[in-house]
Amino acid sequence: MSFLQVENLSLQYGNQTILNDVSFSIPKGKIIGLLGPNGAGKSSIIKVLSGLVFPKTGKLYINNTLQNSFSELRNSCGYLIDSPAFYPYLSAKKNLRLLKKITKSSTNIDDLLIRVGLENVGPKKVKHFSTGMKQRLAIAQALLRKPEMLILDEPFRGLDPNGFLDLKNLLISLNENGTTIFVSSHLLDELEQFADIFILIHNGKIAFQINKEELIKSRKKIIFTFEEKLSIEAKEYLFKLGGNFENELKVDIHLCPSEIASTISELVTLESTLINVETHTILQEKYFEITI
Amino acid sequence: MIRLIEIEIYKLFSSYRTYIAFAITIVLMLIINLGLYSDGEELFSFLLQPLREYFFIEGAVINGNLIAYLSLNTLWVHIPLLTIIVTTYIFSSEFEYGTIRVLLTQPISRNSLFTAKIVSMIIYIICFMAIVAVFALVPAVLLFGTGDVIVFIDGIQFIQEDGFLTRFFSTIVFSIISMVAFSSLSMYLALWFKNTLTSILISLGILIVLTLLQTFVFGIFSSWQPFLFTYHFSKWQLFFVNEVPLSSILNSVYFLVGMCIFFMGLSYYKFNKLNISE
Repeated sequence: MSFLQVENLSLQYGNQTILNDVSFSIPKGKIIGLLGPNGAGKSSIIKVLSGLVFPKTGKLYINNTLQNSFSELRNSCGYLIDSPAFYPYLSAKKNLRLLKKITKSSTNIDDLLIRVGLENVGPKKVKHFSTGMKQRLAIAQALLRKPEMLILDEPFRGLDPNGFLDLKNLLISLNENGTTIFVSSHLLDELEQFADIFILIHNGKIAFQINKEELIKSRKKIIFTFEEKLSIEAKEYLFKLGGNFENELKVDIHLCPSEIASTISELVTLESTLINVETHTILQEKYFEITI
Repeated sequence: MIRLIEIEIYKLFSSYRTYIAFAITIVLMLIINLGLYSDGEELFSFLLQPLREYFFIEGAVINGNLIAYLSLNTLWVHIPLLTIIVTTYIFSSEFEYGTIRVLLTQPISRNSLFTAKIVSMIIYIICFMAIVAVFALVPAVLLFGTGDVIVFIDGIQFIQEDGFLTRFFSTIVFSIISMVAFSSLSMYLALWFKNTLTSILISLGILIVLTLLQTFVFGIFSSWQPFLFTYHFSKWQLFFVNEVPLSSILNSVYFLVGMCIFFMGLSYYKFNKLNISE
């Protein structure tokens, strides 16, 4: 069941078209990854969904009900848009208390700080926070109203590997508790680890959309690198499978996941000196097509 | 709405900038008092020398009321500047910190947020002018005592001690309206530039240029005067004329209230249509 549906969304700043007839739907309880290179329109989609910018055209349905404006979504969503933003002269707790008062939220601030791993720095002024701490506090802000859906714009920006892991685990645990998560990133590897649905955006248009099941089942592009030139038999074998020779030592080929192991095994039998196997999902391929 | 106003006031009074403006005002008033306490007699005897040739002046010319009146001359530039340092910040800081994104993604309307900010701005100006009033009057009266006041506005005006406080506090109320009007302009600029310093500098530039234009009382310039808001700011002086020209003061009040409505209306429109794209 769709939690929200966006139809024919277009956005212009002056004469510049930022989003062009974008339509997508977000099922309830899933993690949706919005992917695309810098400037593709990811942040613009998120800003429209948050009511920060006004689109030229577009319709929003929440639970199949047409809404008057995109601002209506604020009632059921928590947001992290661009870089985290706080009043630097106030402590983490006071920043959250201000928002709590605005939103009449019943969330316990101390519990929330524990949840995002900031329980020891609640009374500290935000201006002394590191990037990772600010990112966690921003997530706490977004969670304050116990939203049905989280909309996060580049939440992993500036995080170290541990910070990334913590945040990823937090998002997965929120999702397991029923929160729908819509997260944008220009780094494919980040999202591939945990998103259920991938939307690839390029030049303000949806370029590609796939869900995790389809992605797993779909053919992968495998790039084999050999140390020495291939035997004629090995070459013929790869040609038969549709191999594309970049040079004498490198060949790419599209295979189903079930075919990969047997192909490698056959190449070894044909005495090929295989030194590297690189796999690209269809999503990665599409992503590289538009970013390179 | 009350919650939003409380929050805006809390934010305003949690920022060190607010207290810097208060502290500068207090220091300014104290400097005026201390300066006149040490050299005031000499200065005034020199200034009043020509007057003594025609009038018999009895008692102390320098007294707390006169010093309080002189302190009010900071209303020309100093007080407006100190006011907008904080009032501009009410909007521009949200853009500078990026917190405008956080606020506008909460389930509150832009209208409510705008109104809360306007109310907090007016409350700040009232507090600020109360501090101006207290520190212009109290130290002066404590140091110099009270008395009649001689002022030079359209000639010599002798203001009796009895009516001084009414005139003084009327000036403060009038100045609150002036400062709200000026802050409305700077707030509008803050919505355009989304930057505190730029908005303050442009507001200050407008204030200085218009104050300068106001001194050109000849030819074409004299016909402009009623359209310069600084001309109406300066009408506070009329409270220190023997026969207070209420109609002239009221005209200026109408102009300043109109200016408030105009710039607040423009700001309201701008804020409601604003794309927060950065």
